[in-house]
Amino acid sequence: MILGLDVGGTQTDAVLVKDGHVVAHGKTVNGADLLETLDTALDQVLSGVDPKEVRRAVFSTTLATNAIVEDHLEPAGMIVSSGPGMDPEWFTVGPSYHVVSGCMDHRGTEVTPIDRGAVMNAVSAIKRQGIRVAGVAGKFSVRNPLHELMMSQWITDSFSYVAMGHIFSGSLNFPRRVATTYLNAALHGVHHSFVSALEKTLTRRGITAPRYLLKPDGGTVSLSGSYRFPAQTAQSGPAASVMGALALDGCRETALILDVGGTTTDMAILLDGVPLCVPRGITLGEFRTSIRSLLTRSLGLGGDSRVRVDDKGCLKIGPTREGSAVAFGGPVPTPTDAMIVLRLLHAGDLKAARRAMEAVAGPLNLHPLAAAERILTNMAQTIALSAEAFLYSVNSRPVYTIHEVIECARVAPTILIVLGGPAPMLAPYLAAAFNLPYRIPRFHDVANAVGAAAARVTTEVTLQADTQRGTAVIPEAGLEIPIRRDFSMEAALSMAREILEKRASDEGASPDELDFAVTEKEEYSMVRGGARVGKNIRLKLTIVPGIAPDWAEKEQC
Amino acid sequence: MLSAKRKTGLVFFPAFDWSVSPTHPEREERLLYTQDQVMEEGLLDLDGVVEYRVRPATYADIRRTHFCVPDEAAVTTESHLIAAGGCLVAADAVMKREVDSAFALVRPPGHHAMRVVHGNRGFCNINIEAVMIEYIRDVYNVRKVAIVDTDCHHGDGTQDIYWHDPDTLFISIHQDGRTLYPGTGFPADMGGPNAIGSTINIPLPPRTGEEGFRTALDELVMPLIERFEPELIVNSAGQDNHYEDPITHMNFSARGYADLTARLKPHLAVLEGGYSVEKALPYINVGIIMAMAGLPTATVKEPNYDTEYEAQTPEVDKYVDQTISTVRKQFITSQPPPDINKDGRIIERRRNIFYDTDMIQELQTERIRRCRDCAGALWIESSSSRGYRILAIHVPRWACPACQKQARQWCESVPAKTYDKVYIQDRTKNSYTVI
Ligand SMILES: [Zn+2]
Ligand SMILES: [Zn+2]
Repeated sequence: MILGLDVGGTQTDAVLVKDGHVVAHGKTVNGADLLETLDTALDQVLSGVDPKEVRRAVFSTTLATNAIVEDHLEPAGMIVSSGPGMDPEWFTVGPSYHVVSGCMDHRGTEVTPIDRGAVMNAVSAIKRQGIRVAGVAGKFSVRNPLHELMMSQWITDSFSYVAMGHIFSGSLNFPRRVATTYLNAALHGVHHSFVSALEKTLTRRGITAPRYLLKPDGGTVSLSGSYRFPAQTAQSGPAASVMGALALDGCRETALILDVGGTTTDMAILLDGVPLCVPRGITLGEFRTSIRSLLTRSLGLGGDSRVRVDDKGCLKIGPTREGSAVAFGGPVPTPTDAMIVLRLLHAGDLKAARRAMEAVAGPLNLHPLAAAERILTNMAQTIALSAEAFLYSVNSRPVYTIHEVIECARVAPTILIVLGGPAPMLAPYLAAAFNLPYRIPRFHDVANAVGAAAARVTTEVTLQADTQRGTAVIPEAGLEIPIRRDFSMEAALSMAREILEKRASDEGASPDELDFAVTEKEEYSMVRGGARVGKNIRLKLTIVPGIAPDWAEKEQC
Repeated sequence: MLSAKRKTGLVFFPAFDWSVSPTHPEREERLLYTQDQVMEEGLLDLDGVVEYRVRPATYADIRRTHFCVPDEAAVTTESHLIAAGGCLVAADAVMKREVDSAFALVRPPGHHAMRVVHGNRGFCNINIEAVMIEYIRDVYNVRKVAIVDTDCHHGDGTQDIYWHDPDTLFISIHQDGRTLYPGTGFPADMGGPNAIGSTINIPLPPRTGEEGFRTALDELVMPLIERFEPELIVNSAGQDNHYEDPITHMNFSARGYADLTARLKPHLAVLEGGYSVEKALPYINVGIIMAMAGLPTATVKEPNYDTEYEAQTPEVDKYVDQTISTVRKQFITSQPPPDINKDGRIIERRRNIFYDTDMIQELQTERIRRCRDCAGALWIESSSSRGYRILAIHVPRWACPACQKQARQWCESVPAKTYDKVYIQDRTKNSYTVI
């Protein structure tokens, strides 16, 4: 059995999956203590279940996101080296930021050595501020990690944790590397205590199965593996719902996923069944990071959004939520009240819902039923409009080769996959607004937890080989490997695959889920004075987000 | 979060799958290291920097500017269309006021491509700036445009296209033609009879450094632009004046380029040449983008700048000052000589044009109607060593009735079977007819 648990903004969903079927599910309203909430959620699905039967447990949590958004980050010191270009002071993060000399160029050739004295001065300054964790980041460290490795080595004894920039992502983007390194240092403590508390809870319950956390790219990382990248577990909720749609629907088409919740509607895109990722990395609070993430868009519009008629007599829905629907004792009319009045939803106090609709209908000069219709139509149209803008932005993403300009088909969904509590009531309205067919998977209201349960390990490696310099660098693995002048693309592929497999198994993947894709593959001659002097090989191998192999059957709708 | 002071659009199209030949300076990885540097600096993440997706230009876009022989398909590839299209995307961003200025970092370049195109000259087939400007004129109804060509090579193609056009001020700053391809661009070349003084050539001696360019800009280029009062400033941003460039002999640095951009404040910049792919382009492009975005550029430097850059020598100082004061006198302190030709007179010139990349010889006879009211009806007979013999008739966009009439007469009197093809490009109707 697989246990899936999603800690959302207001509630926590849990599911237990057996042989690809959801056998138990539950919802818990979040309390003040996260672990208590987890405990309650686990009780709901695990009663009468032998904990030894659980083969895997996957958690999606908002802890890191909350810490960032609510500014509960532990103060972390940063030491950065950059060389020419943008002034590194512009990327200052945290309470103790220090720029030291030292420079690598775009090929990973050392231009200026790193200044040990300056690094040690920075350490003293950071320590004087009472700071216990630190991060080091260098420009082009993914082409040559030497400076980061040296800095880390010099300062490691002075701190309880030192984060290095090059291991989080092999992609180029120094400002994002600085921010991501900082977040990993600043979240290390909070993540560590959460993970150990979670371990304790699970062990106490006798659950010994491997544990994982969900990442925003829709993949999982083992609890122990997550220590290296605490920030990587932030903002996994939207990814959980995408993976839930994939697991429950088995979609192979180009689809728009709409997860309609109480406060928001989250959107995501499947291109031939594969979720789209954000191009450079996710933004967490004020931080632009290099953390891989599925591409999602959130709209402040859900079942509990406030409905009102403004001074001009226009119907307005959202973006605020004042409480639950009037039918459930809430203060202001909501789309949920409209669903109840239209008898699409048989719950709550019908009379109260009618009163709420009358309050809206009056100023609009409509019958309460017509007003309710108008609310749901309007809501569906607003979602459709926002989805259109979302698709437009996806279709105007830059591309860099002739092949892409010609081949790059426009993303045009052919189906809606609707998730969330209000899905069955709202889907026909959405279908009309989008002029597309729809499907509502079973267990659509706990899709996030199912998504967590079904997701597999993801990881990636970036390799750059420079035969003139005689090195191959794989930053995520902290490797710089000497190569011969005749190093080929084939050799690069097998080297990268080997490292990817090792990394994936370190992060908890089983050998049968190593379904990787080559996401970047380029080879250039380096020419000097009209003659070839070497080769530059660039390669990126990724385990694409997908459903774990033990997720045997798809739930059918 | 760091943000741009001036909203800047970027069109980045390195065309990693196109080259002239595997070891040619204009090859696949020309913008590879630039892309690395731009990505690593996080420039595309800056608030106020908007990155746009390229789209291919159409043959109709090209037909506003060129006569392609025998047709567009024969002289362009996908990548030429995309490079030109990238400029159109940049133009839209600026003209729709989505951004204050935009930079099209595209390849292949275009400023050696002339009005008639038989093949590739100086790595160029399609003049991407001219295609962009004529698009802007049609779609956004802009008339007066200034082009400042800062590529190290003389922008002879752009000069050819705008030679007769009094509405386009074309200024080329370049390494003296006696020392570099294409060997043209002297102060005496100042435009055709209908547009005298709207072509300005500023040849600078080899080893000219930042100081020389700054003087040229401050004392000549900026006053000329001010006097012309253009609606739009376009920069043909060639980057081969760099001290590391392998095919030229100038002495310019990344910071020099950034400074030049900050002073010129072009609405649109289009990448032209620049062949020091590793040691110069990455830093120059970063400097130009930062300058366009209004950011301070003091931290932009080549890694070897402090050890390898040498200031301009006193001899060069003197030579540059002399050149600038000559050109200054010619254009600013005294007006260019008036043309003695009467209105309506047909003035003829014959030229040989050599296509260095494709080894084509072209022979042209050109007739222009002398006109004080418009750019003048234009008649071009062109034959090439590839065997084509064509006639091209161009009616300028704001052609006066007399010039339109002249063009009609030319069309009606084309002798049968003399030419393989006859092209009529009527810019007043945006029509292009091939007979
Ligand atoms: Zn050039
Ligand atoms: Zn005229």
